[in-house]
Amino acid sequence: MTGRRTGRALLAGGLLLGTLLASGCGVRPSPVITGRSAVSGPAQGVRLYLVAQGELVLVLRRPTVDDTPSEALARLAAGPQQDERSQGLTSEVPTGFTAVVEVTPTTVGSGDLTVRMTGTARALSPTAIDQVICTAVDAAAQAGRVGSLAPVTIVGSDGAQPARRCPAR
Amino acid sequence: MTLWRSLAAQVLGLRVRLLLAFALLGVTTTAVVASGSYFQARTVILQQAQDAAVMALTDQLAKVYPISQLPPTQEELNVLAQRLSDREGFAVVIYRGMRAQGSPTPAPLTPELRQEVGDGRIAWQRVSQDGQPWLLIGTQLQLDSPDGTSRPSGLEVYSMRDLVPEQQSIDQLATRAWLTGGLSLLLAVLLALLSARGVLRPVRDLGRAARRLGEGDLTTRLTVRGVDELADVARTFNDTAGTLERQVGELRRMESDARRFVADVSHELRTPLAAMTAVTDVLDEEADHLPGDAGQAARLVSQEAQNLTQLVNDLIEISRFDSGTARLALDDVDVAAAVTATLRIRGWADRVRADLPPAVVARLDPRRLDVIVANLVGNAFRHGAEPVSVRLSADPDWVTIEVADQGPGLDPEVRGHVFDRFYKADTARTRSEGSGLGLAISWENARLHRHGGLRGTLVAANGPDGGAVFTLRLPRVTTDAGGAR
Repeated sequence: MTGRRTGRALLAGGLLLGTLLASGCGVRPSPVITGRSAVSGPAQGVRLYLVAQGELVLVLRRPTVDDTPSEALARLAAGPQQDERSQGLTSEVPTGFTAVVEVTPTTVGSGDLTVRMTGTARALSPTAIDQVICTAVDAAAQAGRVGSLAPVTIVGSDGAQPARRCPAR
Repeated sequence: MTLWRSLAAQVLGLRVRLLLAFALLGVTTTAVVASGSYFQARTVILQQAQDAAVMALTDQLAKVYPISQLPPTQEELNVLAQRLSDREGFAVVIYRGMRAQGSPTPAPLTPELRQEVGDGRIAWQRVSQDGQPWLLIGTQLQLDSPDGTSRPSGLEVYSMRDLVPEQQSIDQLATRAWLTGGLSLLLAVLLALLSARGVLRPVRDLGRAARRLGEGDLTTRLTVRGVDELADVARTFNDTAGTLERQVGELRRMESDARRFVADVSHELRTPLAAMTAVTDVLDEEADHLPGDAGQAARLVSQEAQNLTQLVNDLIEISRFDSGTARLALDDVDVAAAVTATLRIRGWADRVRADLPPAVVARLDPRRLDVIVANLVGNAFRHGAEPVSVRLSADPDWVTIEVADQGPGLDPEVRGHVFDRFYKADTARTRSEGSGLGLAISWENARLHRHGGLRGTLVAANGPDGGAVFTLRLPRVTTDAGGAR
């Protein structure tokens, strides 16, 4: 009786010790631990959106004297530069693309953006539309005229497309 | 068997059990406390190291801004990776398909870490590579917009930092935890030994006292120490021993009173009996001249007076044994001659088959030897059947006399009681021809002979062919122990 009780106590102690030891000494590998949101900082230059493997890619170009959203769209229409092409970046915006960007301010710092383009808006591929929207809204946001999540309406000779936001995040 | 049992008693003894319990308690407590604080300290150390590393990386990355060129060239990535690498770790910079590394060490970037980083959060993970712990921290480089939102630039930075210093601190903690555990075990064992001694001493005393009491020392008492349960037991033991001593003393007093009464009565009867015997002797002589019934009555009275005298003499004899006043009158005796004389005097010489080798000389009390032999042979004639044989044998230490008959032998029930006083083997026979004390006196006489550790014995048994065999063994050299009982 006593022997059995002692045995049980020993077993319990051994199990406890075993469990403690099994949970490991030293530095053990861990699962992924997440902290706050990623590091962020300022950028110099004009932000354009090119395409690589069907996805929008942000590129930075040297700033010029006149960095209006319309100017940015003009540089986008000019297509990728030599070094960008060599890294596999392309553009679906046609080279003849010209547009004027208008801001419809509601309050300061937030408003709707309208891109009035020459030619038909329907001729643009969805990717090209995204390129135009993102480039225009980023340029306007850099100038402090709208928020970077502002909706953008593209208006062509064939009428207005529904307003969209830049999908790049 | 006894050895095994004593070994088992040692192993399962109170001391070992106390020791085990204390050790188990000490080890369990220390294990829980030490391991608990170990794990907590480990968590704190790792958390601090991780937080500091993340902070350092964030600070370093703040210096990378402003970013002026996207997409970067491989050259720029290499420069960035070199800038972010230092003594404590190295960086991996990834931009889309391009990758630059500040050290040739392979970086074990896990898919789940890349997933979290891709979702726009700083993430870190401890991994083990080549048995060495590493901390991986990853983050995107995002670009601010004036309105406070950010856009991913496509650049991802991973910092690899080895955790060897932390591992060393933690190992040191573990070593200390083991050391503490060992010390506490040692302490527990010492405490257990101390407390076991405290508990075991009274128990051992109690055991020794109980053994002494069992061996008949009724004056045994324990010293009562303290007020605990063991002291209670000791007190109870003392009370019990006291009661026992009183009661046994009372019984002994009553017994000795009874014996003295018998002795006194016997002595008082002797004088009137002597007178009666003188009268009955005269009557006996005249009996033949008396007519009819008167003669018979005279003979009967004479016979009964003789029996009564015998009984009183036997009672006096046995009360001497009881009071311890019986003394041996030792002499060098030729045993064969003594036995022959006994048989001849009682007229049994022709009826007994005697096997008595000559020249067996022993130092003993010849009168008591005569009493014993006469009693045994007389008994054999009375209760057994002829032929009765007496056989003498001797070795350097013992003289042995066997008296055997050819009767029905002794009933097993009777055998244990033949030496009891007034024991009647045949309950139907209300009146024995003897006093009923003969065998008891013989037994006492045999036991009176002693020398060193040897003590005379008288044993009743049954022979191989059925008759009763009484075996008398006496030490060949008897010293007078002086009335010892």
